[in-house]
Amino acid sequence: MTFQPVPATTEPTTTVPSSATGPPIPESRRGFGTDLWRAVARNRKAVVGVLLLLFFLVLSVFPGEIAPYSPTAEVFQPGLGPSWQHWFGTTAYGQDVLSQLIWGTRQSVVIAFAVGGLATALAVIVGVSAAYLGGISDGFLSLITDVILVIPIFPLIIVIAAYERNAGLFTLVIVLGALGWSYGARQLRAQTLSLRRRDFLEAARVRGERKSYVILHEILPTMTSLIVASFLGAALYAVLFAAGLQFIGLGDPNSQSWGTMLYWAENNEALGANMVLWAITPGVCVALLGAAFALLNYAFDEISNPALRLRKLDITGTRERPKDATITAPTTSDRILEVRGLSVAYASDEGPVVAVDNVDFDLHRGEFLGIVGESGCGKSTLMYAIARLLGPPFSGEITDGEVIFRGRDMVKLGDRQLRHIRWREFSVVMQSAMNALNPVLTIEAQMRDACKAHSKMSDKEIEKRSIEVLKLVSIDPIHLLSYPHQLSGGMRQRAMIAMALLFTPDLVIMDEPTSALDVVAQRSLMMQIKELQERLGFAVIFVTHDMSLVSHFSDRLLVMYAAQVAEFGNTRQLFDNPRHPYTRALLDAFPSIHGPRVRLTGIPGSPPDLARPPQGCRFAARCPHATPRSIAVEPPLFDVEGDLVRCFLYEESAAEENVRAGATEGVA
Amino acid sequence: MRFVARRLGFFLLTLWAAVTLNFLIPRLMPGNAALAMMSRYKGRVNPQAIHALEIAFGIHTHQSLVGAYFTYLGDIARGHFGISLTFFPDAVSHQVLQALPWTLALVGTTTILAFVLGTFIGLISAWRRGGMLDGALPPIFVITSAFPYFWLALLAIWLFAIKLGWFPESGGYDVTTTVGWSWAFVEDAIRHSILPAATILITSIGGWILTMRNNAISVLAEDYVRMARAKGLKPWRIMWTYAGRNAILPNLTGFAMSLGFVVSGAILVEFVFNYPGVGWMFLQSVENQDYALMQALFLMITVAVLLAILAADGATAVLDPRTRDGA
Amino acid sequence: MSEPLLRAEGLTRHFKVGGLFSRKRLHAVDEVNFTIGKGEIVALVGESGSGKSTIARLLARVYKPTSGEIYFEGEPLSRIRSRKQRLAYSSDVPMVFQDPYSSINPAYRVSHGISRALTLHRRAMGRKARRNELQRVFDAVGLVPAGAASRKFPYELSGGQRQRVGFAQALAFRPKLIIADEPVSMLDVSIRIGILNLMTELREQEGVSFLYITHDVASARYIADRVLVMYGGHLVEQGPTDDVIHRPKHPYTQLLLAAVPDPRAPLGVSDASDVGEPPKVVDPEEGCRFRARCPYAIDRCEVETPLLRDIGPGRLVACHVAEADPQERRPAAVAGVEQR
Repeated sequence: MTFQPVPATTEPTTTVPSSATGPPIPESRRGFGTDLWRAVARNRKAVVGVLLLLFFLVLSVFPGEIAPYSPTAEVFQPGLGPSWQHWFGTTAYGQDVLSQLIWGTRQSVVIAFAVGGLATALAVIVGVSAAYLGGISDGFLSLITDVILVIPIFPLIIVIAAYERNAGLFTLVIVLGALGWSYGARQLRAQTLSLRRRDFLEAARVRGERKSYVILHEILPTMTSLIVASFLGAALYAVLFAAGLQFIGLGDPNSQSWGTMLYWAENNEALGANMVLWAITPGVCVALLGAAFALLNYAFDEISNPALRLRKLDITGTRERPKDATITAPTTSDRILEVRGLSVAYASDEGPVVAVDNVDFDLHRGEFLGIVGESGCGKSTLMYAIARLLGPPFSGEITDGEVIFRGRDMVKLGDRQLRHIRWREFSVVMQSAMNALNPVLTIEAQMRDACKAHSKMSDKEIEKRSIEVLKLVSIDPIHLLSYPHQLSGGMRQRAMIAMALLFTPDLVIMDEPTSALDVVAQRSLMMQIKELQERLGFAVIFVTHDMSLVSHFSDRLLVMYAAQVAEFGNTRQLFDNPRHPYTRALLDAFPSIHGPRVRLTGIPGSPPDLARPPQGCRFAARCPHATPRSIAVEPPLFDVEGDLVRCFLYEESAAEENVRAGATEGVA
Repeated sequence: MRFVARRLGFFLLTLWAAVTLNFLIPRLMPGNAALAMMSRYKGRVNPQAIHALEIAFGIHTHQSLVGAYFTYLGDIARGHFGISLTFFPDAVSHQVLQALPWTLALVGTTTILAFVLGTFIGLISAWRRGGMLDGALPPIFVITSAFPYFWLALLAIWLFAIKLGWFPESGGYDVTTTVGWSWAFVEDAIRHSILPAATILITSIGGWILTMRNNAISVLAEDYVRMARAKGLKPWRIMWTYAGRNAILPNLTGFAMSLGFVVSGAILVEFVFNYPGVGWMFLQSVENQDYALMQALFLMITVAVLLAILAADGATAVLDPRTRDGA
Repeated sequence: MSEPLLRAEGLTRHFKVGGLFSRKRLHAVDEVNFTIGKGEIVALVGESGSGKSTIARLLARVYKPTSGEIYFEGEPLSRIRSRKQRLAYSSDVPMVFQDPYSSINPAYRVSHGISRALTLHRRAMGRKARRNELQRVFDAVGLVPAGAASRKFPYELSGGQRQRVGFAQALAFRPKLIIADEPVSMLDVSIRIGILNLMTELREQEGVSFLYITHDVASARYIADRVLVMYGGHLVEQGPTDDVIHRPKHPYTQLLLAAVPDPRAPLGVSDASDVGEPPKVVDPEEGCRFRARCPYAIDRCEVETPLLRDIGPGRLVACHVAEADPQERRPAAVAGVEQR
């Protein structure tokens, strides 16, 4: 008798998390209607579960039509083996086993659905109202839930059954339902709590809705899949517990059910007396019906938690495209990173999505390079591709191109070789230190991990070095012994930067390290990063959505739009004289606190869907300078005075320049 | 420390709830089962047995319900559970203590083993995402987790004891062996425990594997795992201290919550195998209408589950600094 | 002076923090006074934790004030009793939320919020009138064609479009004042301006007032007539937008403005040693809440909480040190950084 609920692994949410690193696909659609059914139909476990369930439903509705004989008539020879007349033989009382099985279906199905329904209803009432009411009511209700959850229910039911022997179906359903709701209630409460923080509930309250409306019409519809899961779990538990109770003789011994069959089989020692099928087949039925619920339950978990699904990337559909005219200047020792034709694709339900499309750039020793773009433009993916942090379990694969870091092509390096150069030669700083630091280890332990992986430093030396780097970012070394959650947001971010500097690498890749901070803290951290960079001489790739943030810090700027490089050039030059219409429009979208107040326009429309990129220029749909040509043909990158621009407006000036110079020149 | 104190408080509260249920259930039953039972036995058994029933039900003829309740609580607190009717005139507590070691050895060991093994396999399967292990395990264990324990036990007896004769059919030891700390006895006891242990292990391990696998998959997608990769840590280090340690935390909560279900299964397995543990004795007491024994065993099982939950809470507090800070 | 549209007096909200028996109080908002005039856009600026979102929720009647009073069109909110009055207020003062991904129920089409608003607040409307109203508000926020847009589910819309739905919902009330709680901070830069422009257009066309809550001073300057600056639950400075931004009086406002990244201006002076940790105001003692970070702090700041005082036309500042012209006194520390 087992039912192990699958605990919610993550805080259940109804939308996809921040799209910073995820594939640029529309958010998961769940909780309602057709999408749910489509997802069920796609899931093999769900399909098997549904079919099994349908099979038993049919048996339970038409036992009289399907069963060959009466289940109770003791008219045959007892203890017959399997034959064409009696597929599963006969009982010690001369009844047909198959007919008993078919008639027994009804009770199990009724119990499953009745208990499932009752328990789910209770779970919804208790769980949702606990979370929604909060305060003392919540404390009280969740305490009751927890107590009922941990009291061993089955022994308790046995105790009750011991006083109320031969309980009828009705009593059984009531008792099982009354004791089986707690797990679902717990789950629903957690989900409601996470919903409570969501603004649409507050919006409903502000609108003036009554509490009952908010619960019934705003909360419940968003929790469909969890309610279904709760029902399935309770149904499974009911089938197994009821069979167990009947098996030990605490049910009505005259009822038609699988558990009762097992009880009589056991009492007649059917196993030893060669009536094996009598003792085994009812169990098979219980297991199959249980499996139907368990499979559906598991499938629902997969559907509602997209992380559990594994998508395979199939890049055969992505089009081959000619390479952009790349910078062909010879590799100098000054250049520590060259990215050539780098492409990254994600697998999505709608086929491969190319999130980084044929990107080229290079980076000099000690240079500060800003990569800017809007959400979903592929900037973070590019960063992770360079750091070779894509691939399972993270979606996204490098499909083409090279990343030459200090002479080695990182794309071709194996895990072991990569591990060797990681952190010593290049390190990574992530957007949110809260998520990027291991919550169960102290700062010191996490620093020690990195040191041990790459050096033979003694514990003493490691501690000394850790203190040094913490001081670099002005954190009191006392925090070496702190856990991440004990630090403030700004400190965590600094601690992560300190960690990245343990080996003073040549390159530090930063993914929006300041975007979670307030303006003042952000400015202060930027100043510190710049100062450290100048002092220690490492190169920085700084990924951000906020162009103005890097304006005073970066040497060069790479503007990405819809997976491609839109413009790449000197930062000052790019701000003073933006060439690409997108860059220009983006700069015009920042209101300023200086100068006269002018009306700004922003950029109408939204970026293209990368699963179906447009044929021509990707910005054409939003561009005031779009021409029939740019709508039909994708522009390459043009070299305009050392600045690379993906726009036909610069075709001529670039050509002229090429004639003048006679050769393609390198950037910067 | 607030966390530990809170969990201890919860422990006591649940215990109290179980005791109170024990007191109330016979009274809430239609026709007041307790009184009915008393009148049925009056004159048929000796006064000592009647007294035992009085203690079991907390019936003291001249006391109010509230007074009876407090006397009952006092008796329980002092370990007075009355006298067993089945093993008359043995004290219930003595009987319980005789059965306890068997269950601890069988159910305790297999449950811990199943949890540890299942957690381990689940982690590996998530780590090698899309591999053979990962492809085969979930569907198999989703289905085994729907198997009724007792049915699997029947199947095991039929196949391995009756058909193949590899293991004894039932019981905790051979009647011919003398009970004691001799090698022969221990060997015999182990031989008898293999089938029931395997049954419990097979049916319960699936749950742990699946939950751990799902937890680990979520954790593996966390930034700190990516960060650990960026730091160039060795794979096993990432798997254990970064993925494993974080993924096991929800699994420990799951352990606490599913324990009641595992114990329920174990009771039936003991019953099918006639294994002389708490579960078997519990069902015997139900069969024999030995209510004093039955109630004591129910409390016993509850306490055992609660202690295991407390242990899981302790492990959580050790592994997760956030719970220690009460954050 | 005629009665403003909304007036907050001594507005205070404390929250209990810690466990069941904790007596600690977080002072989210303390003794705040301000007004919002008819057709006015007022920006409320501050860091996270400064209490600005609490003010939004106090005005929206999600929270009840610990003390103080809000007067809407001269009527105190504490006087609201009946459900009818409550509904009347909530339709006069709707709210637009920060996160467009969480402020629309994913289980319904985007028109759900609007039709509920009409059902609740404008019962008399017929089917046809409702459809017209839906059309009107979708048109007003630039979601066209309105028919197709209103039949979509939230996940089919982009962030900017969802935020427009948020404003359409607010408009369906025929509101007098919209509380916009960081309506653009989660949006991409290229679409922020569109939403800000939408707010000014709504003010011009529908005569709605706005309380625009933001941490982004530049966007506040872009649309607001007046600015209120909050720090640690206190209102520290207020005045006409350009006046405050060009001549900030409170040291915190100065710090905030210096930290705003602006590609068009040279790198501003900023004290790099200020790590910018906003205070947690739990059971605060008397004194200025900014004093620990303040380069000008004097002894008086330790013992006496500065009150808002009048320092010019429409200008109020809560600082013992602030003078008419703060440019005069620049402490050595700040000057030192500048030379770096």
